[in-house]
Amino acid sequence: MKTLPQDGMWGGLLLWLVLATPAARGFLEASMSLQMLVQMPLLGLAGYLLARHLPERVRRVLASWDRGGVSGLLLAAVVSLPWMLPRLMDAALAAPWVELAKFTSLPLLIGLPLALSWPRAGLVVRGVFLMEMVATAFRVGWLYLVAPQQLCVNYLVDDQQRLGTALLVLGVLATLVLACQLMWGHPRGAALR
Amino acid sequence: MASLVLYPDDERLPRAAGITLNFYLVTALVLFLAMMALGLGMRSSQAGWLGLPPDWFYRFLSLHGAGMVGTASLVTTAIMWFFLRKYVQLHLWAFVANYVLFIIGLWCIVLSVMAGSYAGLWTILYPLPVHSQGMWSREAGAIFMLGYLGIGMGQLLFYLDAAAGIIARYGNFSRALGLQWLFGGEIDQAHPKAVVASTGVLIANTLGLLAGTVALVMSLANAVYPSIELDPLLIKNLIYWFGHMYPNATIYMGCIAVYELLPRYTGKPFVMGRPFLWAWLATVLYVVLVFPHHLLMDFAQPRWLSVMGQLASWVGGFPVFVVTAYGALVNIHRSGIRWNMPARLLVLSMFGWMAGIVPAILDGTIAVNMVMHNTQWVPGHFHFYMLLGVLSMALAFMFHLVGQRHGQVPPDSGGDRGSLPVYLLGGLVFLFGFLGGGRTSVPRRMAQHIDAWTLTDRIGSIGAMLVVLAMLYFVVRLVIGLLRPVAQAAGDGDGLADAAR
Repeated sequence: MKTLPQDGMWGGLLLWLVLATPAARGFLEASMSLQMLVQMPLLGLAGYLLARHLPERVRRVLASWDRGGVSGLLLAAVVSLPWMLPRLMDAALAAPWVELAKFTSLPLLIGLPLALSWPRAGLVVRGVFLMEMVATAFRVGWLYLVAPQQLCVNYLVDDQQRLGTALLVLGVLATLVLACQLMWGHPRGAALR
Repeated sequence: MASLVLYPDDERLPRAAGITLNFYLVTALVLFLAMMALGLGMRSSQAGWLGLPPDWFYRFLSLHGAGMVGTASLVTTAIMWFFLRKYVQLHLWAFVANYVLFIIGLWCIVLSVMAGSYAGLWTILYPLPVHSQGMWSREAGAIFMLGYLGIGMGQLLFYLDAAAGIIARYGNFSRALGLQWLFGGEIDQAHPKAVVASTGVLIANTLGLLAGTVALVMSLANAVYPSIELDPLLIKNLIYWFGHMYPNATIYMGCIAVYELLPRYTGKPFVMGRPFLWAWLATVLYVVLVFPHHLLMDFAQPRWLSVMGQLASWVGGFPVFVVTAYGALVNIHRSGIRWNMPARLLVLSMFGWMAGIVPAILDGTIAVNMVMHNTQWVPGHFHFYMLLGVLSMALAFMFHLVGQRHGQVPPDSGGDRGSLPVYLLGGLVFLFGFLGGGRTSVPRRMAQHIDAWTLTDRIGSIGAMLVVLAMLYFVVRLVIGLLRPVAQAAGDGDGLADAAR
């Protein structure tokens, strides 16, 4: 199995702490788009970087439950679903325990499993994950755009519609990048099946 | 390069794979016959020979449309799997998963139609599935769409496995499509046409499936939360993006059988040149861009999309079928081909594809479309290339496999020779019933016809009866043949193409 590089050991923890500062939270939670498209991915990235600190023994135990990366990617996909709901994004601003859940679940249950499972996953598993991710971006973006009323107390309708547009644009970009990679690139994971 | 050996050793399947393939093929045969029976019932009802109540007509029409295209996809997926697995590593689990998800999806569709009275047609056009005016429940519409999701997910798994196999062997899709030889260089004649076709199909159809899953999940969201209102034109575009590519993919998967099998019966290799590679590239682009030709009558559609649909129809519609059909004719010319069942059906499939695509491209022309699109011209063209094109490819493949189980000699019994003309004649009569109806402006998708429309309905019904009769023979013959164990070759080296001629 490919091992994760050990450089930048404290990067993940530092990023996590910086994101938790009131200034960063205040800035990144000021709009729905920033919260979903910047803060949440950065929290995931912090978990991804933290995976480098896991002792080899823990990794081996986790690996025995994660054949082909399926369990980890499934966990990441399932945990990411509720964080796309406007109600939870809204609640994170009002209820500290929801904010705490966000700051722990995104790094530990999305970023970290992704870091551990992605190298184990073959092209089929990666393909299912990425296709679902792209399709979800389109679906959620569309839903935000057509939602008949303001979905959050803290965010206005124009904000949720901006997020919807941004998700659709991201879906298109991700499709193009994936298509180009498959067409002309050197896609990894084909050998791991 | 495709083998010239009639039954090469690398096509001998391990037991589990053979059983799975038989599940695919037997299921497809039974479903084809059942869906044809529904079609015959509907045409007979339009002809005034059968008093099918209108609600049942539309239920049957929904089941027939979804069932036929799904079955065509099932059987041509089996063709793609059977030949592609010789060149790249494919996993049986993906092939099995596709079958299982297809069956689950099929049962959802059957349940929705038969128990839930769903009659909103295969097109599931928003908001019809959940706004039936009391004809069927919201749940029935949702279950029908869930059935589509199941079938699509299975197909996606199969394509991803195929993509992984192709990339592991060729590095990326570009090299698998042979794009490195588009402008120069010596083309590797050993590069399999099955790989080129499979790569083209999976690129295009995966994009279609992506559009389809978005449209389906959004429609399901609307079914659960009716306050979420969708843009009907946008969702129609997505449905036809998926709905055009999915049936087209059956042709492109099916024609792998032509590339692989025809050379064995003619004893001549099917030469791959630059036009072949260009044609497949054009097809990948065409099939992605052409879907707006289904929406030429939607006045709210942006004009540029309609123009794109027409241009794509005219520019991209021809290349693959021209190079395939021309290649097949060159392959047959002076080959001394022996006309047994697989060979006859392969050639018939070329005719069905070619002849069917002409009225299709005509209908993709805005000026013609405005007059013909709501007439029976449209079922005339797609039945042409599905019935005489795709089904003939599938039957040729299955007859070829039956020969493997009968002393490695391709079938050509008296019954076979007698049933094929019945199938062809019945098919042509049936199809010209539709096309003739289109010519006289008989509308399509109408349960009840006025007297002035029934002449072509009756002609079509007679043709359909002959087709069902021939198909009944094919089903019995092929199911019995496929379930026999594979025969051992008479000796090493036997089974060469010469033996077939």
